[in-house]
Amino acid sequence: MKLSKILKDGIINDNPTLVQLIGMCSTLAVSTNVVNSFAMGMAVIAVLVGSNLVISILRNVIPDKIRIPAFIVVIATFVTIVEMFMKAYAPPIYEALGIFLPLIVVNCIILARAEAFASKNGIIASIVDGIGMGLGYTVALVALGAIRELFGAGTILGKAVLPASYQPAGIFVMPPGAFILLGIMIGIFNLARKKKSSSQA
Amino acid sequence: MKETIKLGVILMIITVVSAGVLAISNNLTKDRIAELEMAGSLESLKEIFGDSADFKPLDEGKLDEIKGSTPSVLEIFEVYDGDALIGYAIKNVSKGFGGDLVLLTGFNIDGTVAGLDVLEHSETPGLGAKAEEPEFRNKFVGKSTSEAITVEAISGATVTTDGVLAGVNEAREIFNNQLSN
Repeated sequence: MKLSKILKDGIINDNPTLVQLIGMCSTLAVSTNVVNSFAMGMAVIAVLVGSNLVISILRNVIPDKIRIPAFIVVIATFVTIVEMFMKAYAPPIYEALGIFLPLIVVNCIILARAEAFASKNGIIASIVDGIGMGLGYTVALVALGAIRELFGAGTILGKAVLPASYQPAGIFVMPPGAFILLGIMIGIFNLARKKKSSSQA
Repeated sequence: MKETIKLGVILMIITVVSAGVLAISNNLTKDRIAELEMAGSLESLKEIFGDSADFKPLDEGKLDEIKGSTPSVLEIFEVYDGDALIGYAIKNVSKGFGGDLVLLTGFNIDGTVAGLDVLEHSETPGLGAKAEEPEFRNKFVGKSTSEAITVEAISGATVTTDGVLAGVNEAREIFNNQLSN
């Protein structure tokens, strides 16, 4: 499989958030603003690349019967490392992400890629897959975060962009607003994807 | 039987290596994390009492005694202006809407609230998260410690407000009963 295709699959064709619909819990919870979304995306990319790399290296060593606990141990290790370094070097972001940083351990995107890709493919391909899937997640999360921040608080990256007379719509920063927006985004994204594939065919 | 042992050994090797890697990264980060936590408290203390004040952790025996009766207390600082004791600051944990609230409440020795800082929280952005903004925190400044402290709630975040008030009032009782006399 070509590496560019793996990358593109992760970002567009198999976008974890908008196509595969996995890792929804953290997506909805963290995407209240752009900065948190971006930071969460970076944390997921770091964990995903690390766990894909190690699992790909160990794919012939880990027996089938214990692969799930082995994967979880590897993933949990990377998450804890990311958590420690974020706490030490980016404390405001660490605080903003709160419980959702350690919960990356149980984020299905990471286990799904370990199971479906890294345990069956070579090292380079697995790293590229980690980057692609991670970027796909980040892009979706940042887009959602930007819309929620804009309408929910009238700001982008903490700076006011809408006039002060704009009354922020609290629904957008609340979980129900995230559900509604995510639904709309998935619809638009898949419509665009379908149009593109039918025009190619 | 043999296979079971083999599986166990492989899993053990993976976990041992993981533990080793984690120990290394813990060693690399723990000093900085402790430093940041201390600096965080100090910054908040200065915000409450002003830059000229000095802070000393409360005598450990006394702190343990207070922690024994009120386990939610984390730290207590004595506040000095030169040699004169001018107040206390109490760091404690309360329950908010989204999780724990870590609060730092400063008390002047004359029995008023010097200030409040919300050090850690996981409240809803745009609602309960407003608790960390000065607009809300400043409502506590100057309140008397002789009666239960109340403030106007953050709209849409009654649980957060109640959590902050519970924490502040718990600190107030410690100040009244165990520190100021």
